[in-house]
Amino acid sequence: MSYDVCVIGAGPGGYVAAIRAGQLGLKTVIIEREYLGGVCLNVGCIPSKAMITAAHFVHRAQHDAPEMGVNIGKIDIDMKKMVDWKQSVCDRMAGGVEQLLKGNKVTIVRGEANFVSKEEIKVTGKEGTQSIRAKNFVIATGSRPIQIPGFEFDEKLIMSSTGALAMDKLPKKVVVIGGGYIGLEIGGYLAHLGTQVTVIEATGELLSGIVDKDAVQVIARKLKKAGVEVFTEAKAKGCKKTKNGVEVAVDIKGKEQVIEADRVLVTVGRKPNSDQLNLKAIGLKISDRGFIEVNSQRRTNIPNIYAIGDIAGQPMLAHKASHEGVLVAEVIGGKNRAYDVKTVPAVIFTDPEIASVGMTEAEARASGHADLKVGKFPFAANGRAVSVMATEGFVKIIADGKTNVVLGVTIVGPEASNMISEAALAIEMGARLEDIALTIHPHPTLGETMMEAAEAALGHAIHIIQRPLGERKESGLRANA
Amino acid sequence: MDIKLPEIGEGVTEGELVKWLVKPGDTVKVDQPIAEVMTDKATVEIPSPQNGKVVALKAEEGKNIQVGGVLLTLEASGAGAAPEKPAPAPQTAKPAPAPQAAKPASQAPAPQAYAGASGTNGQTRPQTEAARFAGASAGDVYPPAASSKVLATPSTRRLAREMNVDINNLKGSGLAGRVTREDVMGAGGGSAASAGGGMDYVPRQAPVMGYTGPTGAVEERVPMRGIRKKVAEKMQLSKQIIPHFTLMDEAEVTELVKVRTSVKEKMAAQGIKVTYLPFVMKALIATAREFPMVNASIDDAAQEIVYKQYFNIGFAADTPQGLVVPVIKNADRKSIAQISREIVELSEKARAGKLAPDDLKGATMTITNIGSVGGTYATPIINHPEVMIFGMYKISERPVFKNGELVAANVMNVTCTADHRLIDGAVAARFLTAVIARLENPGMLMMDLT
Repeated sequence: MSYDVCVIGAGPGGYVAAIRAGQLGLKTVIIEREYLGGVCLNVGCIPSKAMITAAHFVHRAQHDAPEMGVNIGKIDIDMKKMVDWKQSVCDRMAGGVEQLLKGNKVTIVRGEANFVSKEEIKVTGKEGTQSIRAKNFVIATGSRPIQIPGFEFDEKLIMSSTGALAMDKLPKKVVVIGGGYIGLEIGGYLAHLGTQVTVIEATGELLSGIVDKDAVQVIARKLKKAGVEVFTEAKAKGCKKTKNGVEVAVDIKGKEQVIEADRVLVTVGRKPNSDQLNLKAIGLKISDRGFIEVNSQRRTNIPNIYAIGDIAGQPMLAHKASHEGVLVAEVIGGKNRAYDVKTVPAVIFTDPEIASVGMTEAEARASGHADLKVGKFPFAANGRAVSVMATEGFVKIIADGKTNVVLGVTIVGPEASNMISEAALAIEMGARLEDIALTIHPHPTLGETMMEAAEAALGHAIHIIQRPLGERKESGLRANA
Repeated sequence: MDIKLPEIGEGVTEGELVKWLVKPGDTVKVDQPIAEVMTDKATVEIPSPQNGKVVALKAEEGKNIQVGGVLLTLEASGAGAAPEKPAPAPQTAKPAPAPQAAKPASQAPAPQAYAGASGTNGQTRPQTEAARFAGASAGDVYPPAASSKVLATPSTRRLAREMNVDINNLKGSGLAGRVTREDVMGAGGGSAASAGGGMDYVPRQAPVMGYTGPTGAVEERVPMRGIRKKVAEKMQLSKQIIPHFTLMDEAEVTELVKVRTSVKEKMAAQGIKVTYLPFVMKALIATAREFPMVNASIDDAAQEIVYKQYFNIGFAADTPQGLVVPVIKNADRKSIAQISREIVELSEKARAGKLAPDDLKGATMTITNIGSVGGTYATPIINHPEVMIFGMYKISERPVFKNGELVAANVMNVTCTADHRLIDGAVAARFLTAVIARLENPGMLMMDLT
């Protein structure tokens, strides 16, 4: 069969590209070897959020409910049922993707794709092998968890995120190798459910290099409270299977130590699947780090082949992939499009959540903004946060000192993931601190903290004590909280 | 499927749709001309890349279309030729944006030209793997992605892209240097209307006079298009930039007439029509070697003088559509016979409107031969960015004093019109005198032949 567009991979990049191509009237086919919706919908974002929600529910019932006067008594966790429920969430979402694809006249082909030439792939599925030709290809085959020597995944004792999300029995003790966002999300919810969690992080701090340091402190504190043991500057050396589980040898700041556990979760990052699909044989250019090289239209060195999502470069985030999916479909449809967003928001579902957009303080300084205004507003001073018993964290807003144009926002706290979109819009629109401060935010909501943080950066937040306006000098117009 | 304007010449980024050769509902075959598109000064027929039925015309006569812009939509007939031979199409349909990335305009449409291209056409060239990659590397999208420093809303950035405006080059008029919708519209000029999203920009129009004669309307309004429009633009540009001056003189060409008459019939027997034009070309080239400033141009942007070591001579040709200037390439290395043959070929192509863009490019000096039509003297307009245009006029028998005696002689008026920024009056006078010396003594002309 011959198509205008062939999308390989039905994750959040690929299925979105296929739907938009279908909307544009292009004859489109999508190839998927595993599940529609990809990692995100099946073994990533969505199932982990389902498990986190359930665990958070448990945690609040145990800790917050009694304080509110709600005595629930002993909580019984049916792990099998929880995992089944999680699966039903995934199935529902994947089913939705299938309907949307069909509704837009996209042909779905299941199987493993391999390029034969620049215009043809062979797809091997259950019903055998078929050849598919297309004028344009979109590679959206994503990434997979990185495996480290001595910790080969069996998804039973040594697990990637996929195995961890599928556990239908709660382990007593888990060692998490890698204190990045996936490790902390899964380790965090396991701890809430009652597992004893130990996190081994190779660098000096958790969420190293991706999150504002002040925010990391909030998370580290909360993990400690939840009984999670964290070792930084620690390296996992190897592991031995024992009768009861595994023994993990760890080098902690130069000292060897052995940690026993039922299971080991390895979350040291993800790598692009560029070693598949026979990409090198057709001459596709791939960087040293394994990403397919693309231009700002996500076109590869072979002009009729595009690449989007995790396989096309950092950040490996579903929403970036979806944005690129729309973009390439429109480029193929003859429209002039390029990837020119100012920022990609990032959200981490730890407890509390972290969300960020734009630049951190350090990045802003590095990019030449010598004079910055920084405003920070704590959730503890927000009525809604207090009434939902979630007062840890803050909103931090960074703006250019001269123009007051918002450069970056970090939120750590309740519903941070839902609140960050306002900040993303502000940055894309080139908003100034005043634009946020002068927008009436409804009371009583968590969103008020954004307005207050903007006010704080301007030097006059209402609900925290800052020096009186009259006493300020120009340089003092900064609330360095 | 969309049929797009293919690449129609090196460096050609847009063309004006002069005439449709098909209409909706027509069935077209591969390579059948579908439209006449005018670029620079040549009209090119655009062939259909495949068999099919015309569904809709997507462009208007008289409007400019970017290379890669959609011309019409075609419903492929049957299984169609395209799927049978799709292999070469995707790679070759994309224009070669030469490695020098300094010409954003020429690269702009490349992605689109490529995007939906579904068939081959005669104009495309195979490319090397390297050239193709250069085209696909990060720098090639025009306009380039907005830098992080640019303050503009996402919808304004999108508007700029769709109007082909590089937002990075705009100075924002909004608060804190924000680039506004109006800034983009201003930079995009009249094409804003096509950008959509309300606020259509309508350029001011000349008032229409309400005068009506006794027998009804006495005016007819015809759109400026095709060669007329190009000539108008080119002439206006040249007059605006160049301070012209014209020097006039006469050459006593009795000897030259004898030479030409002596070879005329013999050459005609070989099918070669010998005119005076190639002789003047040779005289001009030989003299220009002594006066390099006449075979030069001014790079207005760089404020540099470009002296040329090659001699491509343009000659003005009158065609039913208007003035065109075909070019004899490397005229210094061609014989008079060879040049004569080329003049005839190019003139015929010009009259038929079949000149290729290449036939009109790269002139270093131009000759106008208006004398063959009429007039004694003219003050021609220089073909910018050249700096000199040579005029030759009717040869007539006139009384001339030679050694105190009145004799009949063949005399040709000549003019040298020069760019005073580069060429001073005295230099032009010495140059013209030297050209005349060669025209008056064909023997001298022979001395210069290589």
